[in-house]
Amino acid sequence: MSGKEFFVTRYEKLGWRYEDVKPRQAIRINSVNAKVVFIKRLQSLGIKLEKIPFLRNGYWIQKSKFSVGATSEYLLGLYSIQEAAAQIPATLFTKLKDKVVLDDCAAPGGKTVQIADLMRNTGAIIALDIKRRRLIALSNHLERCHVKNTIAYYMDARRVSRLKMKFDRILLDVPCSGNFVTDKNWFKKRTIKDVERNARLQREILTEAAKVLKNDGEIVYATCSLEPEENELNIDWAIKSLKLKVEKINCYGEKALTSVFGKKLDSSIEHCRRIWPGQTQGFFVCKLKKCVCAQ
Amino acid sequence: MTQIKDFVSRFQTRISLDENLIVKRRDRYFLLNDSLKRLISKDFFYAGTYLGKTKRGKFFPSFNLLRMIAGKKANKVIVDKKTEWLFICGRDIFQKGIMKVMGSKRKGDYTLILNQYDECLGFGKILFNLDKAKDGVVIENISDIGDFLRREKQHC
Repeated sequence: MSGKEFFVTRYEKLGWRYEDVKPRQAIRINSVNAKVVFIKRLQSLGIKLEKIPFLRNGYWIQKSKFSVGATSEYLLGLYSIQEAAAQIPATLFTKLKDKVVLDDCAAPGGKTVQIADLMRNTGAIIALDIKRRRLIALSNHLERCHVKNTIAYYMDARRVSRLKMKFDRILLDVPCSGNFVTDKNWFKKRTIKDVERNARLQREILTEAAKVLKNDGEIVYATCSLEPEENELNIDWAIKSLKLKVEKINCYGEKALTSVFGKKLDSSIEHCRRIWPGQTQGFFVCKLKKCVCAQ
Repeated sequence: MTQIKDFVSRFQTRISLDENLIVKRRDRYFLLNDSLKRLISKDFFYAGTYLGKTKRGKFFPSFNLLRMIAGKKANKVIVDKKTEWLFICGRDIFQKGIMKVMGSKRKGDYTLILNQYDECLGFGKILFNLDKAKDGVVIENISDIGDFLRREKQHC
């Protein structure tokens, strides 16, 4: 069970007609580091920008004579290169200032830097990753963007309770199967077995995150997968098994599916957001809290 | 800590760092704040503000530390746009690219390299007294922010 036809048929059953989508490069202004007039400065370099309507600090690159990853402004940490949909999850947390935040699968650090920016470098971020090489990339990213409030650990997200800490906010940008927009060989290399394996791993990470979440804390769960096993079905499972509830969010994307291949899911899952490829890559995001009954 | 202080003094300035908030992990130094200090475990990989590392007894500053020095009255030169680009590509600095010199102009001293927005691009060593007109290279590039790109390539 693999190949383009297999997956495209699945998407049609879920209500989306496949279309070829080219990824659009986007940047996010690091507002702590950049001054208000910064956009003019970038435009004066010859970079043509288009404001992303659903993001406060996000811009699409319309045209640039050179790589936006090799300007002094980039190297000075004034902006980061971050795909538009990937900029959404961090913005869904409420009141981040002075909070203790867990970024579970943090490397290479785009979202960690974004959270630090939203926190104005207050409080603390605990950033984990399981690959040492990727932690080096994360460290470079933190240094480049002048992040001061983060501690990074070489740690499996499924072992985070070893830190003996409780968190106000948890970002679960979990390892996932990805999607065809950002990987041109996606259909050739992915099988349904990969999807199921990733879904199991995501449930283990969710389980551990629920353990270390404070009673009034928030989890933002995100994947760049289009497969319901990694998205709606996992959240349905989390509602039933981990006593988490889905919070309403106001962001770009469609209501998530409450019926998947004939299976009825918890109706609150419609508050999650599913983003089919188009303006952005494919994406799924939702916000979870502990049920009062679970406290 | 002495190595950090000695390095900073080469720019004819001082910065105050709370020694209780500095932690060392292997050969790397980090500056914490109070909340990080309370939360940190000894096996961390990166924490707070990275200050630099020592290698074979020599101190290599981070760009965070250079930025901290740049916030003080210290040896600095401001360079033009073309020189900025060449510098972050790893090149040395010609006198004609220097727009302004602050602090020492003396041969052998360290100086920070800033762009027209006063943003720190790295640092270098003055090779010839900057108050005398000279063709050719006058500041040797020791470290520049283009290093972030070079590190990316190294780890790809």
